[in-house]
Amino acid sequence: MGYVELNVLNNAVPAGAAPAALGIDLGTTNSLAAIWRDGRPVVLRPEGRSGLVPSVIHFPEQGPPVVGREARDSAVADPRNTLFSVKRFMGRGLADVTQELASLPYSATQNERGLIQLEARGRRYSPEELSALILRKVHDVASQALGEPAPTKCVITVPAYFDDAQRQSTRDAARIAGLDVLRIVNEPTAASLAYGLDQRDKGHVAVFDLGGGTFDVTILSIEDGVFRVLATHGDTHLGGDDFDQRLADLARTDLAAQHGAEFVLDPAFQQAVRQAAEHAKIQLTNDPEAELHLMVPHKRIAWRRRVTRTEFEARTADLVERTIDSCRRALSDAKLQPGQIDEVVLVGGSTRMPVIRRRVAEFFGRVPHTEHNPDEVVALGAAVQANILMGGRRDMLLLDVTPLSLGLETMGGAISKILERNSTVPCEATEGFTTYADDQTGIDFHIVQGEREMAQDCRTLGRFKLKGIPPMPAGMARVAVRFHIDADGVLTVSAKEQSTGASAHIDVQPMHGLTDAEVEGMLKAGYANAVDDFAARRVADLRTEIGTMVLATEKHMNAAHAGLDKESLLDLADALAKAKAAALGNDVQALQRARDEFERAALPLAALLMNNVAQKALMGRSLGDM
Amino acid sequence: MSARRVLPCSACGAPLETPVACAACGAVQEVADAATPFDVLGLEPTHALDERELRRRLTSFSRLVHPDFFGTADAATRERAEQNSARLNQAFDLLSDDARRADWLVVHLGGPAESQDRAMPQAFLVEVLDWNEILEEAAAAARSSSDVDPRVDALAVELTERRGAAQQALRKLLDPLPEPGSPRLTAARRELNGLRYLDRALRQIESLRLSRAERR
Repeated sequence: MGYVELNVLNNAVPAGAAPAALGIDLGTTNSLAAIWRDGRPVVLRPEGRSGLVPSVIHFPEQGPPVVGREARDSAVADPRNTLFSVKRFMGRGLADVTQELASLPYSATQNERGLIQLEARGRRYSPEELSALILRKVHDVASQALGEPAPTKCVITVPAYFDDAQRQSTRDAARIAGLDVLRIVNEPTAASLAYGLDQRDKGHVAVFDLGGGTFDVTILSIEDGVFRVLATHGDTHLGGDDFDQRLADLARTDLAAQHGAEFVLDPAFQQAVRQAAEHAKIQLTNDPEAELHLMVPHKRIAWRRRVTRTEFEARTADLVERTIDSCRRALSDAKLQPGQIDEVVLVGGSTRMPVIRRRVAEFFGRVPHTEHNPDEVVALGAAVQANILMGGRRDMLLLDVTPLSLGLETMGGAISKILERNSTVPCEATEGFTTYADDQTGIDFHIVQGEREMAQDCRTLGRFKLKGIPPMPAGMARVAVRFHIDADGVLTVSAKEQSTGASAHIDVQPMHGLTDAEVEGMLKAGYANAVDDFAARRVADLRTEIGTMVLATEKHMNAAHAGLDKESLLDLADALAKAKAAALGNDVQALQRARDEFERAALPLAALLMNNVAQKALMGRSLGDM
Repeated sequence: MSARRVLPCSACGAPLETPVACAACGAVQEVADAATPFDVLGLEPTHALDERELRRRLTSFSRLVHPDFFGTADAATRERAEQNSARLNQAFDLLSDDARRADWLVVHLGGPAESQDRAMPQAFLVEVLDWNEILEEAAAAARSSSDVDPRVDALAVELTERRGAAQQALRKLLDPLPEPGSPRLTAARRELNGLRYLDRALRQIESLRLSRAERR
């Protein structure tokens, strides 16, 4: 007896799968999610797509913001309302980024607290809100790839050289996106996990990470499954975009001469030039020569120039050398010589440039690893770390460091260092302070991060006032202030007056960070958007579903005419027409009704078809048997 | 200084190799504020330490308390893992650095702190003046041109040798550990001051070299 196997559930999830968390690479140029599946990390790609979400947001004239590939495609047509490279603004103030802003087509301002705000379509957005939109899109894409809602628990990566404010901003962005961050992990460290270098029992690894907007290098030691970061160094203002700019400068100089300086400031031109430059750079990775080709239709401009790889490398040599300078500094901190590095790992799309591979190989005297796609290796490593955090394995351990020294401003503007850079995290230090005036009840603190000697040359993390010290003669109070940097690299400060035991918990508000209230506000706005997003998604899903049903029904109309009773046939034709009409509209409820009605009316046809299939199958079988 | 006390696990009673967590049952412990860096790494106070053994302890104890292994635990346990992990790292950083370890021992045995005795060993006094002169001139030269003062490289070699000698002198003074209040502690403090000077000077040379490479 034969039977027909019907696949009822398309996206069945294997039962008993361990709970998983996402590993998310939130990049300057692209973002990506990966997950731990069947004993290894895999990139989450919806069928036939790369899974890579361009970190670009477009605000159309109407409707919700568009994120990813579609947004990137609108960049030239609508440059003022298309925001990208948002990561460069995370946890920064306007003064930090004037250089970056000069070459961007959209505008930025700051709010009353000095927080940077990017403008699009007449509204201001914080970098955290924008990053949250990207994260939500990444989560959506991950859900599509999984065929079920992706986990909200996640590990998010940041450049190793991100300071406290930048890390906090990343955590805030995730919160606004409705994600539960298990850990902020450094990108290069994640990359080393992805390479499975724990298989080697002992050695030193250098991870060279040149992304779209940031660069860092990390030196690790590996011993018995323990990855210990020895040193990290980097430059949060150096990335592939800077290489693009050098090519873009060629076009700018030439066209400014032809059409006037005003012309090259046009946002559409800037956007076009940026994309042309990036395109030429990518071509120069494979070919010895490329054409820088620029079309600005509304200005009737078509400009071309040939660039050889040699010329490109000459124009960017100083950028390459800056990365090598960082390598020297990191090695010096790790107390190692280049020759003592056993493995070199390349991360970030910009490491595809031949000049980078050549120079890195030359400096370390070793051919770098390039087996993994440099755009994916960080997300894969984040998924490995997510698996560790979800209790998946204990054989591997990652000991990371804080990239910058933490200090307090003392009298005269000098700095007293509290935690040295490259301290393994979590780490903490307790410092004693006293009062300098009789009956002084408060002490002001100015916390900075950086390597310079004077507070004014370092980055302000925050200022706080310790209050509630009991009145006593000068120098009698003994206040112990505890500085704790957690495994995410984020600082918390608490204080205790030791003679009375009065304790105070201090939240350090980073200079360029969001207050809790602001995050809450954005969270609420996020939920409101989420409802809209949900409705929009539902409309799209219902339309697709109806479309599929219409196609399937129309395909079998002959069979319906032949096999159905008249009443069922009329009913079906009616429901079909109504569903087609509803699919043109946007109303969720109307769509849902039409779909349900259509499904009901199609039941007799489905039964008829099943019957036919079963009969055929049986027939096939008996024929085969004969 | 009294010998290390071995505490029982607060959950299962097994003797603890480290106060941060129990290797037998995995319970993360409440660590007393008074626990010394040696206590935290389960060691008797000593100047002579095998760096490999120290690293082994850091990693095996980290496997017990690192916050990564408590990603799904309750908030209180997570917090304690965070803190104990920080204690562990702090203790390792201190003990793995010869100078900081010696400094800690001198102070805890009742010897003078750096702020109380800034003197350097006699042998240093004349040479320090010469060394400072070379360093200052080299720094000034580095600011005005990219030329390299050849004396700097020779100085680096000399200071590195002196550092080795100072370490050996410290070992002689602190190994075995002197009695609390012993005059050897004052002598150790002075060697330590010399060592700190050498480390600062060597760092300065290193940063001159790095910025020289960067200027090209």
